[in-house]
Amino acid sequence: MPTSSDSGGRETPALAVQNLVAGYGDFAVVDGVSLEVPVGKVVAVAGPNGAGKSTLLKAMLGIARVMSGKVLLDGQDVTSAPLEKLARLGVGYVPQLDDVFDSLKVLENLEMGGYLCNRVERQRRIERVLQVFPQLQAKLHRYAETLSGGERKMTAIARVLMLDPKILVLDEPTASLTPELSRVVLEEQVRPLSAMGTSVLLVEQKAVAALAIADWAYLLVRGRVEVSAPAAEVLSDPNMREIFLGRAAAEVAARSVDAE
Amino acid sequence: MHLLIEAIGFGVASGAVLALGAVGFTLQFGISNVLNITYGSLMTLAAFLGAFLLGLGLNVWLVMALGGLLIGVASVALNRGLLSPLIRRGLQPFGLIIVTVSAGIVVQYMIVAVAGPSTVAYGNLSGATLHFLGWTLTTAQVVILVVALVLMVGLHILLTRTQLGRAMRATSSNRTLARSCGIATTRIGDIAWFLSGTFCGMAGIALAITVESFDFTLGSVVLIPIIAAAVLGGVGQPYGAMVGGLVVGIVSQVSAAYWSPSYENVVALAMLIVMLLVRPRGLFGANSSSRKLLA
Ligand SMILES: Nc1ncnc2c1ncn2[C@@H]1O[C@H](COP(=O)(O)OP(=O)(O)OP(=O)(O)O)[C@@H](O)[C@H]1O
Ligand SMILES: [Mg+2]
Repeated sequence: MPTSSDSGGRETPALAVQNLVAGYGDFAVVDGVSLEVPVGKVVAVAGPNGAGKSTLLKAMLGIARVMSGKVLLDGQDVTSAPLEKLARLGVGYVPQLDDVFDSLKVLENLEMGGYLCNRVERQRRIERVLQVFPQLQAKLHRYAETLSGGERKMTAIARVLMLDPKILVLDEPTASLTPELSRVVLEEQVRPLSAMGTSVLLVEQKAVAALAIADWAYLLVRGRVEVSAPAAEVLSDPNMREIFLGRAAAEVAARSVDAE
Repeated sequence: MHLLIEAIGFGVASGAVLALGAVGFTLQFGISNVLNITYGSLMTLAAFLGAFLLGLGLNVWLVMALGGLLIGVASVALNRGLLSPLIRRGLQPFGLIIVTVSAGIVVQYMIVAVAGPSTVAYGNLSGATLHFLGWTLTTAQVVILVVALVLMVGLHILLTRTQLGRAMRATSSNRTLARSCGIATTRIGDIAWFLSGTFCGMAGIALAITVESFDFTLGSVVLIPIIAAAVLGGVGQPYGAMVGGLVVGIVSQVSAAYWSPSYENVVALAMLIVMLLVRPRGLFGANSSSRKLLA
């Protein structure tokens, strides 16, 4: 059931937040954000460093503290729900940091990604993700802490794909990947996943690459949504492009500092 | 030379008990990050429970297994009933250590209240004396050695070959990420506390079998070499704790043989301090900051 008035007549979004205020301790980093990830769409969130992008994702997943507002999964209230429950509901998450099990082997990382499915299915999925990241084949028995930055990211993305998620929450998944591999991950993995019905919430520094595969884009500045627009529109409008590429975003940030 | 070989034999036997204790101690720490000083008193509790069960006429090895299970349950209760609620309310690690120290003292004096302050003895359960490799060990010591070995191999198989064991290591490595994979980390914590308590209880009874007599201070005294063994092996690493237990056992016994038995614990403490000075992450932790529960 659509819950907010402006979504009347539309399909219930896979994931939505309404007026979310969230942060750490008593300090609100996310300051009243509303956002929707429609079923089977890719939604990109951009914004300057420290804008609260990661905190927004963490709050949606019950990791950061939600002070007010709601998180809805398929229209169902999951505000502050335990993360393991969200995993069972099909939400996959790649954090920006600490995205692998360091003291586990790469293969074991993948096995943990497929923790919720049976042995046969797990094996099938391991073979599938290894086709996506053939580079990992040779590293399967290496401890994750001995991997390069890019290999770590591959392991992290492969691990989340093991969950076969319905909703994928990615916090800078291509950081430390080569431009070519970033393109492969975004265009050949994330985009097709959404075509198959997976809904994706993507935080990316590589704004142009992210916008190229996104349906909708949000610009987050100092914990607030400054821009919410179709990704294609942002890409084709030089001003918007500029904003998302960061220079003007920094100006917006500077202006709101002045206003205080 | 003969003295040295004999002392090493004794060291291996006492090291097996320390290793059992250290593995249980480190396993729980690796997963829940709580430095559980109550552990020593739970060992004492196991020894006294053992005396009670032996009094009922049960077989000593059955008593060891039962004691392990009971202390396993007590260990889960300690976490669920006291420590977890405090952590949820935001108690910091230092406060938690004080709580486990206090809980340990309470348990110790509850034992005194029930069983009295006098010494207790299991009686002679040593069995025949065996000679091999130049060692002189009692049958009981050899059985304990074998039991410890079997438990360690069992733990190794659990941690590396089963999905549950991998989930335990994953939880130890990165709890949030483990939860994001659907792992119920609270349940994993319960299992870790249970296994830890089981090792603790079995070590306590094994210790009681091998000493002539003991009183309510049994566990708090042996906790020092156990922590030394755990630190030696790198806290949170069961394999390290196994080796650490053996090393502390052998060094203590050798120094007791050549020097004086009363320095046993002093040697363990000295090893602990030297270890912290030269290799704060343990024997095997040289190039790793995050390696927990096996690597
Ligand atoms: N665990 C934490 N405790 C307290 N404050 C935090 C914590 N994590 C982040 N913050 C603060 O919250 C603010 C937003 O951080 P966040 O990580 O959400 O930014 P971000 O938009 O993801 O930035 P980046 O692009 O650099 O990843 C920052 O000012 C940061 O200092
Ligand atoms: Mg971030």
